[in-house]
Amino acid sequence: MSNVSRRNFLRLGACAISGACAVNALPAIGRAAESPDITTLRTTLPYPRIKLAAIGRLKAGVEHLTAYPDPASPVVLLKLGRPAIEGIGPDQDIVAFSRRCSHMGGALVFRAETGTFHCPLHYAMFDAQKDGLMVIGQATDNLPRIELELDATGDIYAVGVKGLLYGRQANVLA
Amino acid sequence: MSAIYHGDDRVPIPPSDAQQFSTVCSYCIVGCGYKVYKWPLGKEGGALPHQNALQVDYTKQQPEQSGTWISPAMHNVITERNGRRFNVVVLPDKDCIVNKGNHSVRGGTHGDVLYASDRPTADRLTHPQLYRGGGQFPTTWDEAIELGARVIKASLDKWGPDTIAMKFFDHGGGGGGFENNWAVGKFFFTGIGTKMASIHNRPAYNSEVFASGDAGIAPLPSAYLDAELADTIMLIGANSYETQSIYFLEHILPNLGGATIDQKQRLIPGETHASGKLIVVDPRRTATVAVAEAHAGKENVLHLQINNGTDIALLNALSRLIYEQRWADQNFITQRTNNFPAFQQVFQSQSLDEAIRLTGISKAQMMTAAEWIAKPKADTARRRTLFLYEKGLIWGLKNYENVASAVDLALLTGNLGKPGTGCGRLGGHQEGYSRPAYPGQRPPVNVDEVAIKGGASKVFWVAGCNPVGGTLNAQSFRVALAQRTALVNQALGSTNGGSLDEKVSAIMNALDKGGLFLIVQDIYPIETAQYAHLVLPAAQWGEMNLTSINGERRLRLYQKFMDAPGIAEPDWKIMARMAHRLESAYRAEGKTEMAARFAGFAWNTDEEVFRAASAGVKGAQEDYGETTYAMLQALGTNGVQTPVQEIRNGVPMGTTRLYTDDKMFTFIPAPWPGFPRQIQTLIDDARYPFWVNNGRANHGWQTLYDDLRKPYVMGREPLPHVEIHPQDAGQLGITNGELVELFNPYGSVTAMAVIVDANAPGHVFMLFEHPKGWLNNLTTDYVDPATTIPYYKGTKAGIRRIGGLPGMNECLSFVPTNRA
Repeated sequence: MSNVSRRNFLRLGACAISGACAVNALPAIGRAAESPDITTLRTTLPYPRIKLAAIGRLKAGVEHLTAYPDPASPVVLLKLGRPAIEGIGPDQDIVAFSRRCSHMGGALVFRAETGTFHCPLHYAMFDAQKDGLMVIGQATDNLPRIELELDATGDIYAVGVKGLLYGRQANVLA
Repeated sequence: MSAIYHGDDRVPIPPSDAQQFSTVCSYCIVGCGYKVYKWPLGKEGGALPHQNALQVDYTKQQPEQSGTWISPAMHNVITERNGRRFNVVVLPDKDCIVNKGNHSVRGGTHGDVLYASDRPTADRLTHPQLYRGGGQFPTTWDEAIELGARVIKASLDKWGPDTIAMKFFDHGGGGGGFENNWAVGKFFFTGIGTKMASIHNRPAYNSEVFASGDAGIAPLPSAYLDAELADTIMLIGANSYETQSIYFLEHILPNLGGATIDQKQRLIPGETHASGKLIVVDPRRTATVAVAEAHAGKENVLHLQINNGTDIALLNALSRLIYEQRWADQNFITQRTNNFPAFQQVFQSQSLDEAIRLTGISKAQMMTAAEWIAKPKADTARRRTLFLYEKGLIWGLKNYENVASAVDLALLTGNLGKPGTGCGRLGGHQEGYSRPAYPGQRPPVNVDEVAIKGGASKVFWVAGCNPVGGTLNAQSFRVALAQRTALVNQALGSTNGGSLDEKVSAIMNALDKGGLFLIVQDIYPIETAQYAHLVLPAAQWGEMNLTSINGERRLRLYQKFMDAPGIAEPDWKIMARMAHRLESAYRAEGKTEMAARFAGFAWNTDEEVFRAASAGVKGAQEDYGETTYAMLQALGTNGVQTPVQEIRNGVPMGTTRLYTDDKMFTFIPAPWPGFPRQIQTLIDDARYPFWVNNGRANHGWQTLYDDLRKPYVMGREPLPHVEIHPQDAGQLGITNGELVELFNPYGSVTAMAVIVDANAPGHVFMLFEHPKGWLNNLTTDYVDPATTIPYYKGTKAGIRRIGGLPGMNECLSFVPTNRA
């Protein structure tokens, strides 16, 4: 499961203006900085564990379309063909993301040549290799990433989501 | 472990009884409407529509573009001064006709930077601070104002009004608005009477569009509707996808894609209509060009990738081509303009070959542009062309002529006052300007040079801007500021334990010897404040009621929905505090005339200042007449477009677009002037081979004052980036994400390399303002002598590789941003 809380992440961000580099040190400090008075927002939603595919069926650059954590949330499972942040598998290149743009929910299109997701509504662009980082666009968060696990038999499971899925108040619907 | 930011995986639900407020984004000129929901922490609405304030069924997935989705960045938990805690959601308003529920990355993350003591905004200025004992320490308003007033009064009495210099916001939106601007102007112009005034982003007190004013055109003559109706839109020095994002996405792009043809036929019957065409004048292939091409097809987008500083040559060449093709609007020229012969003489004196050589634009491209601007339509109706320009033109080679050449092209083709036409700025920040008249002359004095570096002023009050990095030739400005303020620090250090009288006496002694007393008024401890003797904490957007207009003169009320941190106050109250103290000091001395200059600040509410400020906008594009807060509140996020014509049954009647009457205009002849000495010297020096263009990026706002406190944004731009062409990067041995140094005789700056072919080889583009690397260290001290506006957009530099920073490029994306 995730879950360094966003609050702790932000707390760190405040003192670490050099941002991207400094947050590498996040987990340890994050836990240390936990503060009981802001727990209202920290959630441990009951994410299901769902098998998305067997690793052998994935081909580099080819999208495997599926859904998580329920059928109303389209996601894409990808073997990028080059190591990705949070990538799993022997090549550390398997990642999964929501297919709804984190700006206003547009249906994202993947382009294998650049490894990017593109929104036809307002032209947001997200980098699949970089954990869904918004390259450009009007979204207020990077693209939600599906947290994956690979079991001993080579099956890939979705076990959680980082970031809020567009169109939901909580990733797991009430 | 990932180092990429992801927000929470849930947000709280606003309950049905949540308090609701109406506001407008605090950032860019577009002014998207927002709704604010506020309710006590620990309480939440239910998931069913009748159980929550948005009447949304949270048990189901919402459809795309629902206009009711709350992203985590739109939410925060705040603490009021009485200790009570609230959830606050700042949600784009789907009923606002400006944004229709849409939002940019900037406005959409407003919730993230509301003041919260357990968030990155915890470093907001909460109390006045005074320099003593070698540092800045909290004090009361009374002591801070007393010391400031004593120093100001002593300087004013001893050396006169021009010894008090200021550099202040003149914004609408965040921190500004008609209220704060009026109080600032009344204090400095009616009270002090100083000519050493300058506006936040430049060294003088001036309009950025003097030429447009001289031609008779207000800066914001059109409506956003006109971008939906135009046959052609010409963006000059503007990257609107990244800097006026929602104007571009909601009003310009639909036209280019043909979605507004029905509306054109309805509102402009009797002529043929098609999808709009877009011309972009920019030395760089921007995201705007890429998105427009993706949306409308390359055949409907013309990118004129000009050489830096050659706008005038291009625009005059287009005027010449249009005139020679007999596509000029002869009726308009005859009936509505003066001075055409002088303009004709200028555009005819520049050969087409000369223009092609200077601009790098081919004759064929110029001809296409001329056709799109002015070749009559199939039914012989004139094309409706909307000219929109911004900093690329305004801060280009020579401000006055740059703007004049765009205005002349619009007048030549009769594009004012009719649906789908216009010629004005796109705008950076919103507008809310209302002040008594500036006592100086045109061209206004260069305050950076004369008052600060030159020593003419003894007191410098800075508010809502960060000039140690934001002003031109910033490195030399910073050195002068450090040296002069240090003299006052030393003097204060010699009075340890001294009384206020002794402190003032020591300060005055230091000022006499070349010292500078610095007051910085802001919401954050910005870099300029590090040099200050007095730091004053201001309230921010949402912490007071304020009013402003957007880029189509749309006036709205931005309601207060939370307390300012600590004892911070609205700028108008701070100015009033200082005025009261000066008034009583002069009265005590029996100087009634001086006392009277500081009278009239006894306002009790934000609205009282708004009403007083109406005196400063009479007859201007901002004129809001007798409009009140209650009237604006009733109009919500749609407000009213100024000038307000009349109040009918309690409702202000506005103006969609200006110049639908028979107003006369004046051509302003503007020959291409060549490069100024400072730039030519750099051009002639082989050590500085790169042209350095600069501008904003989509994810950042102004000096990044809020963005530094948005982890999501800082994850994207931890250091300022500089775009370098692959060919140049190859020769310099630079790869993506490496640190490079740009240098010239004016200064040097470090930046993070992004290798992309957006600019021509030999040309680089750097982010304009970032506290981790100030581009302005490289800009020269040149200003247009006619307007005292800098040539920020053009300087030259050498580049050397410094090296990689571990972890930097792993966490960033180097996919080009100008591919859609």
